[in-house]
Amino acid sequence: MRNISWSSLVVVAAAAFLSACAGVNTVERQDPAGNRQMVPDRRVITDQTLDRMVSVVGVNEATISTGLLKIQVELLNRSTSTQNFAYLIEWFDANGMIVNSTSSRWMNRQILPGQTVDITAIAPNESVKDFRIQLARK
Amino acid sequence: MNTKRTLVHCLIAALAALPLCSCATTPHVVEGPNKATSMGIDTEDFASQADQMIQSLLSSGILDKSARKPAVMVVGRIVNNTTRQLDTDLLTKNIRVALNKSGKATTDVTGGALSDPDFTLSGKIIENRVRQGNIRQSTYTFQLSLSDQAGTAAWEEQKEVTKQSERAGAGF
Repeated sequence: MRNISWSSLVVVAAAAFLSACAGVNTVERQDPAGNRQMVPDRRVITDQTLDRMVSVVGVNEATISTGLLKIQVELLNRSTSTQNFAYLIEWFDANGMIVNSTSSRWMNRQILPGQTVDITAIAPNESVKDFRIQLARK
Repeated sequence: MNTKRTLVHCLIAALAALPLCSCATTPHVVEGPNKATSMGIDTEDFASQADQMIQSLLSSGILDKSARKPAVMVVGRIVNNTTRQLDTDLLTKNIRVALNKSGKATTDVTGGALSDPDFTLSGKIIENRVRQGNIRQSTYTFQLSLSDQAGTAAWEEQKEVTKQSERAGAGF
């Protein structure tokens, strides 16, 4: 009786663990039709665990028809657990001075195991030439 | 003997009080990512939704098609269709600030006295609640419409934010 109880507990615990690890399967075109303009980036990693959970695959940019800079950050969760994180995008003008914007604040997101998330942001005005992205665990 | 026992009791009481003391913190400014979140619509939610709306509006290019540059906009009524008391200015003010800073539009500050605006912004906030076992979920839908002088929709957007909390179950 005691053995059965313990084995049941182990099965329930294993099931709970497996359900927590449920990931995301992804399918996309083998040769993407869109031509991304990827930005060569420089990274400062102080949290290796976060970097594995919310890994920056790349950043691409474009100037939209209204003359504003648009960026897209591709993130991938390489871990087996869901991760809550926050990101902050800061904008800079041609002189490297920060451009104050209502959008420059920490935004919360969630990423599932194996999931790819794209964060897009549009510059607050036409003076913006540069950007910086910060990621943090929640 | 009694003195020794009293001393031990005092020591135990002091040790027990230690963690309680360490829990208390003085008020401080929070600027990082770890702001508290409620099941309602927080300031951060308003800011986040406003930001997404602005990005959608700016990328649509509709403001650049206006005859006047920058376009003149009146911010109309935002209907609160939730069970919570909300100050919708937390949404509209973020939008107004962002639009004015973008240089693409200026907003009316006369309270509606402007007779011929290029655009009028209006919207609604809707709440949908779900309860499943111990899980409570609230979804807030933000709807915004920008109408032109002819009264037709020049731009529309809808964004959602879903919040979930779990009531602690009975312990073993």
